[in-house]
Amino acid sequence: MTGVVARSVESIASALRQFFTAEHVAARDGFLQRRDPRVTLLAVGGLALAVMMTRTLAVTLLFGLVTVVLARLSAVPLRRLLARSAVVPLASAVIVLPQAVLLPGETLVSVFGFGVTDAGIAYVVLFTARVGVGVALLSLIVLTTPFSAVLAAMRRLRVPVALVWVFAVTYRYLFLFFNEMRRLVLARNSRTTGADGVREGWRDARRLSGTFLLRTLNRGERVGRGMRARGGARPPSPYGQQRAVDAGDYALAAVAVAALVISGVVRWGL
Amino acid sequence: MGTVIDARGLTHEYPDGTTALRNVDLTIEQGERVAVVGANGSGKSTLQLALGGLVDPTDGTVEYFGDTTDAEAVRDRLGVLLQDPEDYLFNPTVREDIEYGPAQLGMDRETATRRIERIASTLGLADLLDRPPFRLSGGEKQRAAVASVLAFAPDVLLLDEPFGAVDAYYRTRILDLITDHDGTLLFFTPSFDAVPAVAERVVVLGQGGSIVADGAVRDVLTDRALLTDNGLQPPVTVQLFEGLLDAEDVPLTVDEARRYLQERLD
Ligand SMILES: Nc1ncnc2c1ncn2[C@@H]1O[C@H](COP(=O)(O)OP(=O)(O)O)[C@@H](O)[C@H]1O
Ligand SMILES: [Mg+2]
Repeated sequence: MTGVVARSVESIASALRQFFTAEHVAARDGFLQRRDPRVTLLAVGGLALAVMMTRTLAVTLLFGLVTVVLARLSAVPLRRLLARSAVVPLASAVIVLPQAVLLPGETLVSVFGFGVTDAGIAYVVLFTARVGVGVALLSLIVLTTPFSAVLAAMRRLRVPVALVWVFAVTYRYLFLFFNEMRRLVLARNSRTTGADGVREGWRDARRLSGTFLLRTLNRGERVGRGMRARGGARPPSPYGQQRAVDAGDYALAAVAVAALVISGVVRWGL
Repeated sequence: MGTVIDARGLTHEYPDGTTALRNVDLTIEQGERVAVVGANGSGKSTLQLALGGLVDPTDGTVEYFGDTTDAEAVRDRLGVLLQDPEDYLFNPTVREDIEYGPAQLGMDRETATRRIERIASTLGLADLLDRPPFRLSGGEKQRAAVASVLAFAPDVLLLDEPFGAVDAYYRTRILDLITDHDGTLLFFTPSFDAVPAVAERVVVLGQGGSIVADGAVRDVLTDRALLTDNGLQPPVTVQLFEGLLDAEDVPLTVDEARRYLQERLD
């Protein structure tokens, strides 16, 4: 499979795979890497919750600043953070875009006879910024904490076993999914030559997606066995990162609590 | 001493109608070192999965340690290495993949870390532990998979072609780990190369998934007709010396052959 379709599949696959594979940042030394994973999970998760609560652009941007500072302190390259967290807000922006014309307000420009209002624009911008910052915060957790440590922290925080299980399996399955996709595209590219047109590309893609589904299902079954062979039938119980809770942990927790309180106050008043 | 695995009348048919195992009876005693040899498609992997409790055979039973037919109850004692190492590598880093078994099976962390360090250095994985597994080469993946099974210190090893993709150097390293293992060993392989070094008993699977021979290494390896009929070839030394020497004198390994020749030359 060559040509346009192949290139898109390849770039989508590699972009999505990034989300699951930039794991080695977790091994670097930095502020979030040195935290107790439970604190990271609760505090950064709390920040994400706080940003979702806000209805003010200024507060949202403040959270964005906090996110950037946390990333810098934790040796997370901003470009990678952006790459990882850009897809979701852009997709959600498309979904809320109609609000730009639907919300009543002062008409700024007219597009195909629809008036784009200032309130509408403000809503779309706020929504996208909020989702973007929220996703970036969640990415920070995954980027700075090994996956097994996240799972272990969830268990220690007494998150229901079934939930941890679903989370672990979903994450691993997606990982597998993109891996399999990349492999199929590679195998395919190595066996075809020359540039096909878009039509041939599509035909190929349709045939390929059937194969892909079967292969992923098959791989899923086999990985299931690989897990079971090593105790995968038992509830997830990975080794955590045991860290003494220190001043940095308290500071992070304090920031998160303050953020929750402030965004609550700004939204609902005292 | 005691029976580790007792399989009775194992038969397995895949959903598409392929019969991969046919009425297999196999008893493995504590401490035995057994090679299961068969041509491609003879049912080795299926037998391994059934013995490891990872596939429910359509017929027959497997009993473990003389007291249970539930493989999950004895999971920490069975070291099942599947043929494809990719099936073991599903975590973001190699270290997490290797720690997965020990953590799930309740080994304490210190013991696990010590074991993993030792195994990783034997298998040349020390520098790869923080890498994502899919960026490893084929041989590296295989070594990581072997490590992930040995890590939880199972006393019964069931290894399906454990060095299909590794180079000669690490092949020897893996062989050393296997020979050092002082429990029970079942080793599934399509060739006899490593068999005399690690096993004392050989089970031959014929096409269609039934056992066609089960005996001492020397008896099986020097039975030319049996091997040829089942798509197998004896080790090079046997090919070289058979017909020249009596079956009981034929050297089975290169070392034995060298010793034999040395004696003649002196
Ligand atoms: N998932 C499956 N579905 C259908 N047939 C299978 C499956 N896995 C293996 N087989 C078939 O079962 C037979 C035995 O396979 P296998 O146990 O993998 O043999 P070996 O490991 O000795 O090469 C082969 O004919 C193979 O094609
Ligand atoms: Mg096989």
